[in-house]
Amino acid sequence: MSTVPVTLVGERRRRATRRRSVLGLLAALVAIAFAASLMIGHTLYGPVDVVRVILGQDVPGASFTVGDLRVPRASLGLLAGLAFGIGGVTFQTMLRNPLAAPDVIGISSGASAAGVFGIVVLGLSGLAVSLVAVAAALGVALLIYVLAWRDGVLGSRLVLIGIGIAAMLDSVVSWVLVRASQWDLQTAMRWLTGSLNAASWELVVPLLAVVLLVVPVLLAQSRPLELLQLGDDAAAALGVRVERTRLVVIVAAVLLIACATAAAGPIAFVAFLSGPVAARIVGPGASLLVPAGLVGALVVLVADQIGQWALGTRYPVGVVTGALGAPFLVYLLARTHRFGGSL
Amino acid sequence: MNTPGNTLVVERASLSYGDRPIVTDLSLALPEGQVTVIVGANACGKSTLLRALARLLRPAGGQVLLDGRDVHTIPTRQLARRLGLMPQAPIAPEGIVVADLVARGRHPHQGLFGRWSAADDAAVAAALEATGVSDLADRAVDELSGGQRQRVWIAMALAQETSVLLLDEPTTYLDLAHQIEVLDLLARLNAERGTTIAMVLHDLNLAARYADHLVALRAGRMVAAGTPAEVVTEETVEAVFGLPCMVVADPVTGTPLVVPR
Repeated sequence: MSTVPVTLVGERRRRATRRRSVLGLLAALVAIAFAASLMIGHTLYGPVDVVRVILGQDVPGASFTVGDLRVPRASLGLLAGLAFGIGGVTFQTMLRNPLAAPDVIGISSGASAAGVFGIVVLGLSGLAVSLVAVAAALGVALLIYVLAWRDGVLGSRLVLIGIGIAAMLDSVVSWVLVRASQWDLQTAMRWLTGSLNAASWELVVPLLAVVLLVVPVLLAQSRPLELLQLGDDAAAALGVRVERTRLVVIVAAVLLIACATAAAGPIAFVAFLSGPVAARIVGPGASLLVPAGLVGALVVLVADQIGQWALGTRYPVGVVTGALGAPFLVYLLARTHRFGGSL
Repeated sequence: MNTPGNTLVVERASLSYGDRPIVTDLSLALPEGQVTVIVGANACGKSTLLRALARLLRPAGGQVLLDGRDVHTIPTRQLARRLGLMPQAPIAPEGIVVADLVARGRHPHQGLFGRWSAADDAAVAAALEATGVSDLADRAVDELSGGQRQRVWIAMALAQETSVLLLDEPTTYLDLAHQIEVLDLLARLNAERGTTIAMVLHDLNLAARYADHLVALRAGRMVAAGTPAEVVTEETVEAVFGLPCMVVADPVTGTPLVVPR
């Protein structure tokens, strides 16, 4: 065996170091955005007050505003952004197509439609609505997969079928809303526009549990997932159990997306744009799960601040991410010459 | 049938996609340390046979044995340390650099959270060196020419350090000069590392030139197997490809050369 050229090892180290510093920087930005979300508002509170509130001390005014309003809101934004980012890039990586994000191919629509249907038609509330939404998202994912199957699944075919399914589900939503009472409409809206307005610990804690449970499962699959990008046959030849990996990964990603949707609504385009943005930041050749999760969290936290304070009126976070995401979708469509280009 | 000297053995295998039978009742053995080439007309089942050898397809009947053991009973990773495959159309993730792609060949040697080791570095370096792409290590794969890219994929399979290497039409989309370059490379690997190689080739003359052992299929059945001199005869070529021809000696190598009439 020949000796290893120094440059080969050096380059690999250099790339790894660069990746780590970029990740560190992203994580720091998320932390700053989180901290800023706790301090900024109608009343500004300094870091000292915020820390005292978090430590459980009683600070007049701040204890309520920061402790009961801002901390749950920022936590919900952080977790939902993380879940959308990781869930989205998982789909995009697995299907080798940036358009195959769950909010483009109808999985988020499935959760929304089921949520709205549960509230308005079935009269459900609370946890029952979330469970129906998660089940529906899984069902939609399975349906799209089965419809797209022909001697294997092709990303571009799956995207087209998914867009069709999304359109059908959106019409279900419109139909349900026409029948909805004023009261139900209020609750149903949370399932349609992404918003952190309803943030409370009752929404944050279940989402935190799901994130803590599911994200490690996905991270353990990140290498097999990377190998799947080489094609099913090549991955299998490298020792990946293709079908099993795909099943685990799909269920995990759908759980993340559906639970985040249940808590914060389908915050527009976060699942879709986090992956490609992360790919441009960290460069090719490494897993995008963690960077995309951080990008998602950062986008949601910043967009929520913009929506609340920068635009005169208060807008829900989904309006801001939608305004950012739609042009990005057009850009990606224009850039992807051959249908099925990867991230 | 599993005599010593045969690593991968197919025993009376029937292969099908769904209800569509492709290969029926086929037996064959890959001689250890030799180059086996599978030839046949389009849609005769040669790629299907290669996929069964690589365990990508479970035989409807019969079995595929590696060192006497049914490949479907060998754990996936363990098999991937013995048996490498270069599929017909592998996909390079956009923007990935050569060294990173070749490094993916090390997957079966690493644990679940396995850290990159000096052995991994050495295997990648040796694979880049052997395929002559060391200079391209930091280039993006999608910037390379077809011939270079093919060598990079072979390098990835080499980094896997398997004793058996299967290749599905490694010369497709290449011009003649690059076809020869890739086949020379494989012949050298076989000679230097003793890797058992089995590949599907379209071009019968190139197959005759590079094979130690030639297998000819027609409509999912084996028509002939043996040395190129035994297999490439006017009768067999007409039977396999339906092509009337003359067989003469290749003026360069002396192997049989098919000249269509």
